[in-house]
Amino acid sequence: MTIDMSQFYQVFFEESAEHLATMEGLLLELDIENPDSEQLNAIFRAAHSIKGSAGTFGFTDLAETTHILENLLDRIRKQELGLRADMVDAFLESGDLLRDMLEAHQGRGQVDPKAVASICARLRQLSADESVPVVSPLHPADEPGPVEAGRNVIVGKRAFDIQFVPTEVSAKGNGLANFLDELRSLGSLEILNQPASDMNNVGYWQLRLVTGAGEEAFSDQIDFIAENGAWRVVEEKVADDADRDFGFFDNSLGAPEVDPGYGFFEPAGSSTDLASEAEVAAAVDESYGFFAPLPHVDGGIPAVPAALGEDDDGYGFFAPLPSPVPTQHVAEEGDGFGLFEPLAPPLVSMGAIEPVSSASVSIPGAIETKAAAAASPVRAGKSQPGAAAGAESSIRVSVEKVDQLINLVGELVITQAMLLQTAAQILDGAPERLINGLAQLERNTRDLQESVMSIRMMQISFVFSRFPRVVRDLSSKLGKQVELKTSGETTELDKGLIERIADPLTHLIRNSLDHGIELPETRIAAGKNPVGTITLKAYHQGGSIVIEVGDDGAGLPRNKILAKARERGLLVSDQMTDSEVFNLIFEAGFSTADQITDVSGRGVGMDVVRRNIQSMGGRVEIESMVGVGTRMTVRLPLTLAILDGMSIAVGDQTYILPLSYVVESFQPKVGDIKTLSNQARVIQVRGEFLPVVVLHELFNIRAQSNDFSQGIMVVIDADGIHAALFVDALIGQHQVVIKSLEANYRRVPGISGATIMGDGHVALILDVSAIAGMAKNSLQKAG
Amino acid sequence: MEAMTHGGGTVNDDELVVSEFLTFTLGSEEYAIDILKVQEIRGYEQPTLIANAPPFIKGVINLRGIIVPIVDLRIKFNLGKVEYTPFTVVVILNVAGRVIGAVVDSVSDVFSLTRSQIRQAPDFSGTFDTKYIIGLATVDSRMMIVTDIERLMTSAEMALIDSASE
Repeated sequence: MTIDMSQFYQVFFEESAEHLATMEGLLLELDIENPDSEQLNAIFRAAHSIKGSAGTFGFTDLAETTHILENLLDRIRKQELGLRADMVDAFLESGDLLRDMLEAHQGRGQVDPKAVASICARLRQLSADESVPVVSPLHPADEPGPVEAGRNVIVGKRAFDIQFVPTEVSAKGNGLANFLDELRSLGSLEILNQPASDMNNVGYWQLRLVTGAGEEAFSDQIDFIAENGAWRVVEEKVADDADRDFGFFDNSLGAPEVDPGYGFFEPAGSSTDLASEAEVAAAVDESYGFFAPLPHVDGGIPAVPAALGEDDDGYGFFAPLPSPVPTQHVAEEGDGFGLFEPLAPPLVSMGAIEPVSSASVSIPGAIETKAAAAASPVRAGKSQPGAAAGAESSIRVSVEKVDQLINLVGELVITQAMLLQTAAQILDGAPERLINGLAQLERNTRDLQESVMSIRMMQISFVFSRFPRVVRDLSSKLGKQVELKTSGETTELDKGLIERIADPLTHLIRNSLDHGIELPETRIAAGKNPVGTITLKAYHQGGSIVIEVGDDGAGLPRNKILAKARERGLLVSDQMTDSEVFNLIFEAGFSTADQITDVSGRGVGMDVVRRNIQSMGGRVEIESMVGVGTRMTVRLPLTLAILDGMSIAVGDQTYILPLSYVVESFQPKVGDIKTLSNQARVIQVRGEFLPVVVLHELFNIRAQSNDFSQGIMVVIDADGIHAALFVDALIGQHQVVIKSLEANYRRVPGISGATIMGDGHVALILDVSAIAGMAKNSLQKAG
Repeated sequence: MEAMTHGGGTVNDDELVVSEFLTFTLGSEEYAIDILKVQEIRGYEQPTLIANAPPFIKGVINLRGIIVPIVDLRIKFNLGKVEYTPFTVVVILNVAGRVIGAVVDSVSDVFSLTRSQIRQAPDFSGTFDTKYIIGLATVDSRMMIVTDIERLMTSAEMALIDSASE
């Protein structure tokens, strides 16, 4: 039976990327002096999960590298090795490399094999340091056996006891038959137990296979045909069984001698060199921990439960259960899982089992984080997609599907509005029940729209999580001491925005680090804490998301910026306000850095930052004080898809003005409007002369009247440029769904998009920044 | 799975390859376009004006949630009387991955034409550039101008697509 694994690749890539991200985040949080064992375990689990699935999918390079990484992590978490800063560096680097490998497997980029070799060597080196066998205090039992046993595994025939309950589909279809054929091709197969013939093969199977192959040769397939997790493979000793080194779960419920932890992951106590030990570990490990080591118990050594937890490498299928009495233990365990019903005494149900010696039993599918967090010694790892899916309350859906859903709901809202309007137009008044029904429909559609929109919402921590690394790397490169403080990570914004905000934010942070925060000596001289602080804050304000990047560095040098601007021939004067001066740094090619570093200083960047943010419908502001610090504030709309707009009438056309740009509106009096050189018109609002943009002239539409006193002036503020927009009337305020005009047409100056109004007609959305820019230009021409 | 194979030889491609064409009239002239480019045909509704667009671009309409620009080919080619009646027809075209509506006087027929039925058009100068004309075809003594609608709609002179994106 061949299974096309490639269909699962995408899931693997995504999962592994997530695991890598988790690992990186945890590594950065680690307190090197005093690492939290919970965190170490979490890092280990992430590495292990990657290794497990990489092996399953046949990405050997990933599996090998993670394996070495995992070995080292394992020793650290068992406190055999002390954690050092260089280790964290090595871990981070190998994380980067693993990410590259993942990318390469997805057909993007290449991995330098030398880099892989060097990082592997480095990890081994780190692992070999102080590697003189420290007998782990947790494993008092002697272990010379396991290594030999491990070697045994590689050569010679092995017998496996295979037990499983097939899924209905595979039992009735070809799956089971194929599997049995497959097993027969591997060696001699004996069916010890199979369901009654009228059961259609559904039920408990027990097979005995004597083969030269390892269990990895068939374990994947069992997993596919068996019910979720309802299988196990137990290796028996063939013929000359001296000690039952491998009789983990002997089906004769009570193998009295169970080897202590098997020592697979037991670096200690053996005189063997590290390499061969790793080999053994690898050999056994390839089974991905399907059977976790069983604790050795000699009349209940207190240390055992703890040892167990550490050793458990399993995916939670067969969590070890420490028990003072081994015989009982195995029996309990078999029952506990309830997987093999025929074996289970009817009285014992899964939930009813009392965990022996307070260790919790991990039940496949239901395990997960709780068990892990409970600080119980059983470490329920995840990774088997089937088992994990049941426990995780999330599903992966392609963005296209979500977008399609959003579009459809948008249509629904429009249709609903159309219905409402039609009902309102019925002359004698619509029947009350219709009105009520429509009102209900309106509420429901609004709720629906809100929920659908929230699917696209993601927490900003998704972006923030990458910055600790950026800060860490950069500050060490620049010789600065910087602490990054983040808040509001749970603020949600649209996925589209999340993806696009990452680069501008990275740039702002790099900028703060490079230009803002001073060197420690300078800081001490200035009477500041030598450790600089960069704060990253996200919060909601009105209808927008605000992201602040602040630093307590030197602040922006106003005079220097002005001087640079003059040098570059920009129009500046000393009377400019601070914010105008600071905005100069967003000009293309502007940099006040005295020397160009590879971090920044080339003057490319800030203009790109502003352009990127503006293209998302956002804006960026700077506040700064010399010697105190700088704060960049990025304001973004909540979502790219919906906009709060004010509908305005010009002639017979309706336009939408994004509400965030509107400052105020008023009805001008005759004579309020003055002309400059008989071309440009200005109006005085609260002492400020604003350029007047007459929308019907701009768009060449026949207006209702040319008389200014008959219309409305709307004062707009676009990136600090104020202007007064003359329109015929204000109609109302709407939330509109933004539709692209460019999808089927092209860009129109002054228009940023289109939307569909309640009556089904199209209304165009004004591009306020562009219109304000036009107003400024016409004023400059006239002035 | 074995791929399905079609029987039959290649006697003469020109005779065998039959394409279907939708014909419409602009003034007194009859045009034919590849029917596979036509998404649907609908009545004319007042579109929303686009500022400073050329006169033949009437504006945009909402086609079930999609914003579709409307081009009046009669204005563009200076043919027929430009009036909008309940019988004015908009042919919604699907060209180059875009949806575009074209206003025509009326839609007349669907014809099957083999390649040999389409004759080379003589060179002439006029508003309608010959480079958009595949050829001329005669059916029942009616002459039709077979048009490469995709090329026409994506051309720079239609101003429907950003020049940068071409």
